[in-house]
Amino acid sequence: MSSRIIQCKQLNHVYSGKAALTDVSFELDAGEPIGLVGPNGAGKTTLLNILSGFLHPTSGIVRIFGHSPGAAQLIGKVSALPQDARLDPSFTLIEQLVFYARLQGFSSQQANLEASRVLEIFALKDAAHEKPLTLSHGMAKRATIVQALIGKPALILLDEPTAGLDPVNARTVRSIIAEQSSETTFIISSHNLIELDRLCQEILLLENGILQTEKPRVNEKQVTSRFITLQMENCPASEVIAKFSALEGVLQVTNPQKNEFIVEYNPDLQPSMDLQLMHCIRANRWQYRQLNHGKTLEEKLFPSDS
Amino acid sequence: MQPNFFNHLTLISAFELKRGFATRKSILPLVTFVVVWYFILLHPIRFAAELLVQEKELQAEFSFFDLIGFGSIQHWPIPEFGIFWHFALMIFPMLSILLAADQTCSDRERGTLRFIVIRSSRDRVFFGRFVGAMLIQAVWISAAAFSTFILALTRDTSLLYFALPDFPILVINLILVVLPFSAMMAALSAKVKSARQAILWAILIWMFLAGIINSLAYYLPALAFLKCLIPGYQLSDMAPLPGWQTLSLIYIPLLQSLFLLTIGRWIMLRQAL
Repeated sequence: MSSRIIQCKQLNHVYSGKAALTDVSFELDAGEPIGLVGPNGAGKTTLLNILSGFLHPTSGIVRIFGHSPGAAQLIGKVSALPQDARLDPSFTLIEQLVFYARLQGFSSQQANLEASRVLEIFALKDAAHEKPLTLSHGMAKRATIVQALIGKPALILLDEPTAGLDPVNARTVRSIIAEQSSETTFIISSHNLIELDRLCQEILLLENGILQTEKPRVNEKQVTSRFITLQMENCPASEVIAKFSALEGVLQVTNPQKNEFIVEYNPDLQPSMDLQLMHCIRANRWQYRQLNHGKTLEEKLFPSDS
Repeated sequence: MQPNFFNHLTLISAFELKRGFATRKSILPLVTFVVVWYFILLHPIRFAAELLVQEKELQAEFSFFDLIGFGSIQHWPIPEFGIFWHFALMIFPMLSILLAADQTCSDRERGTLRFIVIRSSRDRVFFGRFVGAMLIQAVWISAAAFSTFILALTRDTSLLYFALPDFPILVINLILVVLPFSAMMAALSAKVKSARQAILWAILIWMFLAGIINSLAYYLPALAFLKCLIPGYQLSDMAPLPGWQTLSLIYIPLLQSLFLLTIGRWIMLRQAL
């Protein structure tokens, strides 16, 4: 998949005199999941609402598959999980999912099969004839995610898909996104950077309604220096920094969080820095939990000062 | 194949019809209406119809109904239909405000409307919900008229010949009477946050509109045509008309509905969901 799916030009949105989005311009291609991050009030939900056609921008141009958001041509092609949206409490899950499938163009029989299929994905088939108010918070949230999968749309916009879910269900959501990403492009707004780090190859960072121009790419290769992130068991931080800094090729060692160290090094001087670090850890009888090449997404987006 | 406007209109209105008759929420208003209508049918309508028949048989010089201002009832070939007509003109517009108040507002507040709009369009949802609300009311009106029809036949089966042509007139007329009220609720529902707010706004707007326009027309008679903007404006003129003549004023609710639906659609297209 390499076609352009979203084009935004000079997008602005103002809520009661306050700018929620300012001159946001970007283009996205179909492919791997795309993360949308930013602090609370940064404009993530506003942007997703505009892309879904739930909100009209104050100014600017938006095109989804070459059409305006909400256009009839996008029916069945674009789906969304809006933040905090709930299903109708008067109808059972299956009734609502069948209705949504029918709106997407499925025949009555196909709609029943499709509704059962998506319920099965989230192990909700037993709750098919339940009404949303009788479901637990987690089940109700999963049911709202289920509706977004009807008809295998080409683009799914997910606003905080795992917020409020227990770890097992959050993992299920992540695995479904990973499974379906070969045929569906996901745009995921989340505060969970570890989750986005695992899922997304591309991240859009919004701050105060402004899209940060340098889009950080998770697999981006550093030209001059490289990074290794080390999660250690309890260890003397100052001693670790001193020993790591003394290794050949190390440019800088930082300690952004307790027992976490980021080693910046020159790959030309030391191409096997991971092995050097391992030797150093073993020689000093320290214990490590995890070694990752590169920085964490959190460090890339919001670098610490230390 | 992409579903077209009418496919969606049918699907959305059918779903609303299901909401109106086949959900737990719909049972209470249905039972209330059935009980209230049963007493209206059994007492005022049956009693008044029997009184009318007695007056006709006695060929009384003065009618009780002339005295209370309902003399036009005597022009209806079926007395029950004449009384039903007067009751229905009062009850169904009020019922319409209650039944059609929640066309989109609570779904919009809950976020459910987003799940539907992303698979349809604002236009389709707005008109689909309006058609759904009208279908529900059409069933209520038809059921009430049919029960009156049965009541008339139980009194005198020979009335079937006269009752049959009047039955569709009553139903069509009453559907057209509630049309602008439902259109007003569609427009209000597209803007406000709850059915209760929509009902309160409807009462306020209707009273202010009637008050202001009537005052303007009193001082400036040239502005009397503005009365046409008030939903139900034609009701007082319609009440004395019998049979097919009641259809002579249908252009008023049709134009009012067109106007109110245009405003409602304009609100719906601009509203954040």
